[in-house]
Amino acid sequence: MSAPALKKKLEELLKERRLRSEAPPLHGERQTSPLASGIGPIDGLVNGGIPRGQLSEIHGPSSSGRTGIALSLVARSTVRGALAAWVDPSDRLDPGSAQGAGVDLERLLWLRGREGALPEALAATVTLLDAGLFEIVVLDVAGVATRDLRRLPGATWIRLQRAVAETRAALLLVAAAHVATGPCGVRLALEPARPRWSGSGPGRLLSGLGGGAVAGRHATRRAGFELAAL
Amino acid sequence: MFGGLHSHRELPSPTALLELAREFTPRVEVLGPTPVLLDLRGLGRAWPTPEAFGSALIDAGRARSLEPRVALAWTRAAALIAVRARDGLTVIRAGTEAATLAPLPVALLDLGADLGELLARWGVRTLGELAALPRSGLAERLGPAGPRLWRLARGEDDAPLVPAPEPVLFEVTLELDWPVDGLEPLTFLLARVLEPLCASLKRRGRAAAALELTLGLVDTSRHERRVRPAVPTLDPRTWRTLLVLDLEAHPPRDAIDRIRVRAEPTPARIEQLSLLDPSLPSPERLAETLARLGEWASSGRAGSVTLLDTHRPGAFAMGSFAPGRVRDAPGRLPGARLALRAFRPPRSAHVEQRGGVPVLVAAPGVQGAVIERAGPWHASGDWWDGGWSREEWDVALRGGGLFRIFRDPLRGGWYVEGELD
Repeated sequence: MSAPALKKKLEELLKERRLRSEAPPLHGERQTSPLASGIGPIDGLVNGGIPRGQLSEIHGPSSSGRTGIALSLVARSTVRGALAAWVDPSDRLDPGSAQGAGVDLERLLWLRGREGALPEALAATVTLLDAGLFEIVVLDVAGVATRDLRRLPGATWIRLQRAVAETRAALLLVAAAHVATGPCGVRLALEPARPRWSGSGPGRLLSGLGGGAVAGRHATRRAGFELAAL
Repeated sequence: MFGGLHSHRELPSPTALLELAREFTPRVEVLGPTPVLLDLRGLGRAWPTPEAFGSALIDAGRARSLEPRVALAWTRAAALIAVRARDGLTVIRAGTEAATLAPLPVALLDLGADLGELLARWGVRTLGELAALPRSGLAERLGPAGPRLWRLARGEDDAPLVPAPEPVLFEVTLELDWPVDGLEPLTFLLARVLEPLCASLKRRGRAAAALELTLGLVDTSRHERRVRPAVPTLDPRTWRTLLVLDLEAHPPRDAIDRIRVRAEPTPARIEQLSLLDPSLPSPERLAETLARLGEWASSGRAGSVTLLDTHRPGAFAMGSFAPGRVRDAPGRLPGARLALRAFRPPRSAHVEQRGGVPVLVAAPGVQGAVIERAGPWHASGDWWDGGWSREEWDVALRGGGLFRIFRDPLRGGWYVEGELD
């Protein structure tokens, strides 16, 4: 193959890779686009995804779909080749669910906490953000007692926002109720969800969950979403 | 002059003869654990006669329980052949190589089975008989190997001595004029030690797989630490951080007056970057981050997870976090799904049943009447090894929440496995 033909083919290849939405970042390529979850109504609600360099939050009551949405975000990052971290002070993550959501487990760093490990988990989150290796860091405090969260110094969340502001990573807080959000971060409040069932009698199945989410500084935007069963 | 050094006894270590030879000359050719060949040029001033040198070599070997054989000759080939054939010390004068080797068996030339059998059929049994054959005739019948064997049988060299490179010790020591106490001043001193050490490794195309740090303390004791990151590295900054983090966890008990750092060398990582693949995280950065996670990483609570090949729910293993290259182009992801938020261990529960179905669940943090349910789903396994069995239900509670509960027929109780979220 002649040199001009080779150059043309290489340029076409580069163009194709760059224009594909799923293309991994090339060497030296800065990623600024928000991280989408792949759940259309949720992404539409938060203007395309959760922003980088910001502390964002998904909060809601039990079984409202918080973990499912967070795992969808992590899955889309890891399959593109990026690294993700899941800081789990209550040790609640189920690896089978993560793999079911499409997470590349080899690219997920999981920090499993023990009872009372919240301060250590916060320090570890700052360490992970400072490393600059991870595209998304999830801090799951949904299983942490409210009194433990209230005991934290008020500057805790400001420190986390400062740590993530220097990076291209997104920091996502998964909580039972509103805790903190960065100045340009996304706050996604989930409403109590309705389980979907199919069939009847002994063969009845849990087929999914129909949930609702509210976003925006004044909670003015609302969308419904569906999560399939495990 | 050349010296052959050989031992027919089992050696205490593969490098025992090499270490013995290096005590006498730096130019040593290694032909396996045994024999080794010494280049004795220039040693005439140190030793009055070859016999004196040979005796000293044998005495040094006996002191190490080696019982060595030594042959000194003016050609490399004669020294190597004679040392395999004769015990004790053999000295072959210049010009007498062929005559000295003549009675020795031809098998000493390492001929191989085919050539040895051929020479045996010809009736050639000694080196003298081989050397007496016409050289051109051997070339016609054996090709290039014929003249080579003919020269070796006469004790003439077919190759020069190739000295083995001296082992390089990657070690830097710093003696301090004044003792230092505390990690902050030590950090600066470590940088002074690590930078020349890493530069020395880099010059030889090596990286350090591990570092041994020995701190001499004022109370004359030593504080020794060994740091081995997940990947070898050559970056002094990374090494300094790893050493300081290790010393923070294991501080010395007194002030320090001597620092010695020794590296375990390994071939440096050579990586061909790809234009189109996503960049991998820097292994140095990754090792440093995991070291900073400290207690999380050392207690096995930080890492990547692998699902085990079993039907037992929730079976997984934690491993070290070492992401490799992305294997395939991004495929189609499954749609968003519910996830289990597991309780570890599953919470023991009181479950009331009516008509064989759960109607009330009470467990720590999980309580309420069951308003909707799906199940039961039966699963069991590992019957050959204790076994497990479960009758699984997905239940929605009146107060809110969707939970996975199961009954364990083997232990006879109900448990809440986790919340579906």
